[in-house]
Amino acid sequence: MTETQVAEVGTTETGIPDTLEFDVIVVGAGPAGLAAGTVCARAGLNTIIIERGRKPGTKNVMGGVLYTRPTAQVWPEFWKEAPLERCVIEQNQWIMTEDSVIKMGYRSPHFAEGVPNCFTVLRVKIDQYFAEQAEAAGALIINETKVDEVLQDDGRVVGVRTGRPDGDVYAPVVILAEGVNPQLTCALGMQEDLKPDIAAVTVKEVLRLDPEIIEERFGLNEGEGATIEMFGASTRGMLGTAFLYTNQNSLSLGLGVLLSEFAEIPDTPHDLLQELKHHPAVAPLIEGAEPAEYMAHLIPEGGYNEMPALFGHGVMITGDAAQLVNGLHREGSNHAILSGKTAAETAIDAHEKGKFSAQVLGHYRQRLEETAPTIADLRKYRKATKFMEHHPVLSVYPALAAYAFEEMLTVDDKTKRQKQWEIIKEALRRRKPWGMAWDAIDGGLSFI
Amino acid sequence: MLKIVVCVKQVPDTTEVRIDPETNTLIREGVPAIVNPFDAHATQAAQHLKEKYGAHLTVLSMGPPQAVEAIKKCVSMGVDRGILLSDRAFAGADTWATSYALTAGLRRIADEQGMDLVLCGKQAIDGDTAQVGPGIARRLGWPQITYAIGIPEVDAEAGTITVERRLENGVEVVKARLPAVVTVVEEINELEYAPLPEMIRAARYEPEVWTAGDLEVEEQFLGLSGSPTTVSEIFPPPQPEAGEIIAGGRDDPAAAVQELVDKLIQRVEAGTAQQRSEV
Amino acid sequence: MSNDPVIMKPDANKGLDDRLYTVKYEVDEENSHLSVIDPEACIRCKKKPCISKCPAEVYRWLEDEQVLEIAYENCLECGTCRVVCPYDNFEWEYPRGGFGVAYKFG
Repeated sequence: MTETQVAEVGTTETGIPDTLEFDVIVVGAGPAGLAAGTVCARAGLNTIIIERGRKPGTKNVMGGVLYTRPTAQVWPEFWKEAPLERCVIEQNQWIMTEDSVIKMGYRSPHFAEGVPNCFTVLRVKIDQYFAEQAEAAGALIINETKVDEVLQDDGRVVGVRTGRPDGDVYAPVVILAEGVNPQLTCALGMQEDLKPDIAAVTVKEVLRLDPEIIEERFGLNEGEGATIEMFGASTRGMLGTAFLYTNQNSLSLGLGVLLSEFAEIPDTPHDLLQELKHHPAVAPLIEGAEPAEYMAHLIPEGGYNEMPALFGHGVMITGDAAQLVNGLHREGSNHAILSGKTAAETAIDAHEKGKFSAQVLGHYRQRLEETAPTIADLRKYRKATKFMEHHPVLSVYPALAAYAFEEMLTVDDKTKRQKQWEIIKEALRRRKPWGMAWDAIDGGLSFI
Repeated sequence: MLKIVVCVKQVPDTTEVRIDPETNTLIREGVPAIVNPFDAHATQAAQHLKEKYGAHLTVLSMGPPQAVEAIKKCVSMGVDRGILLSDRAFAGADTWATSYALTAGLRRIADEQGMDLVLCGKQAIDGDTAQVGPGIARRLGWPQITYAIGIPEVDAEAGTITVERRLENGVEVVKARLPAVVTVVEEINELEYAPLPEMIRAARYEPEVWTAGDLEVEEQFLGLSGSPTTVSEIFPPPQPEAGEIIAGGRDDPAAAVQELVDKLIQRVEAGTAQQRSEV
Repeated sequence: MSNDPVIMKPDANKGLDDRLYTVKYEVDEENSHLSVIDPEACIRCKKKPCISKCPAEVYRWLEDEQVLEIAYENCLECGTCRVVCPYDNFEWEYPRGGFGVAYKFG
């Protein structure tokens, strides 16, 4: 903690009332901000978290699957008391055509044993739980307050200006956890705004359904959950995924599509969601469910290549604002939480040293590189989005695979050998051999 | 200095409450708790009096432990002291038992620090009774002025308050002796955007919590057992018939109007035919 | 089976009003957080992707006035309009603290 000489009662030597001076300011009470705030406050730092929603979580959207182990690094054993929806014991990948589906899945009781692997969650509930933990650790959460500007002095970040009267607060470290729309980091010149080829628009609906019906339809026991990710026609072959998750007494159904591809067609996100609801494989699962909430959000898909400078003098960037999302593996909140934690640890170090330069805060990135799997994973998949974009992998192949399944599983007057030939001919008609070879090589290289 | 106490209630945001059509119970899941809007305006009115005359503001509420949130919200609006009456003994209170407990709280506040004026919202949006404010006035034996849309003057020396009341056909200006109870409607002011230092003060503020044991009350008049009224049933009002939208008015207004006229004529004819058959 | 891109049965955009009815908003009356920087650019813009890509139908093109109508009250604050605009023509910010969409589940 910095040694500050108190000039007179109630003010510091800088003339700022001491009630407006903090050790750390965190902008945004999502998973990244609340993790950062909790860790800072636990170390005894005077921490303020500023949130624009009327409560933490009320502006936040995710699919939502929350991974236990990364989360537990900040909130140990949270799963024993947090308001979670269902423990995911079955994960499915569906490859969709217009009216058919190839289903793959893995179900295992091991997912629920010991430290369970992951849970479905609703963000408003879980973020408020994390907020209570941050407050219990001593962090001050100010809701209904938007940060309009990061205050700088001679190239150093020294605080933030909120939209409230007398709205300035000061701290030697500001942790930005502002979410996917990086208004403040852009204004600081630390990154460029999102572009259509690195942002996916996501719409989701929460559909209320009796727990007994959910358990019956998805073959689950009480408290157990299933997830389904859908590829192919569910996003009309555009780069993106659709998803259906089981909550305690509701389903989360949604889809996300990369904007650069989506902008080419006239349909709205809601159109795609309506189509998905009418897909013959989806409709029976959601039948009778009552719409409880509709929502939309962007997902940053830039990954490693678009990661901004993560630090500067007096400032660190975390979570979605830092593009720390692995779209292929539906992972975002875990990276957000780990980045928040790592930024907080760096802030604690900086306070111990009494130095807040870019050099000192640069340890944040270094630590993040060392914190498996946050940046390592993103680096691994750095070419994946570019590969998938405008690529037949999500349009041609699902239909082809479905055709092959249908031929082989239909008993008629053709021999199996005849059927194999027809499948091969159809495949070659849809995609030339060198195209397929290239897809394999290109794809392989992008994911290695 | 003028001593003002504002009585507030934490309520579910009823714009969000839906009634389960099968069980006729309230669906409260995901419904946020807010300061009853009328009470927020009463708090703002108190803050305006503080600005104008200088005053000490106390906010008093009764509810479960979570209701401290409502009090903290009022503190961000400029309130100096917040007290929550919270005890299982208070649970299930109707308006009679609520005003009984609140009055006991007010008496203790009056003993501790003095009390010139009690402000309340006109009514709570979850019950819409508008009985608690008047109930408090009756129990205290103070004058009550309801439906206030303005408090143009408080004369501490003369011990009077002047209040403008909204009536159906106009505004009535009333002068009353202090101490008094005033209930306000939303028209009285616009809620202001609290300054950041006040938000920070409120977030750090710990409201006092008083239990039944802290008050001079008789158990038998508290909570459910002290409530002479009960809610026997909750049901949604009958749904009005769904309206019909005649589309295409933008592109071809004449055709749309014609369609509307035709439909109206059809309806009138159908109605007349029905009347005839009934005769 | 054809080689056409896969398209499931089209379904008109009916029902969005019902969807939005489930959303809680705290509207900042007369304080739009969305605006267009240069109205001329909208006239030049052929596709107007802000209109079709908005998940909440915030935008509507008024043919007579040649102006983009903005129903900011419906905004879900996702940012799609800003990102998808070919002319970078949005003055886009979040609503004032405490206002705008207030999710119940998220």
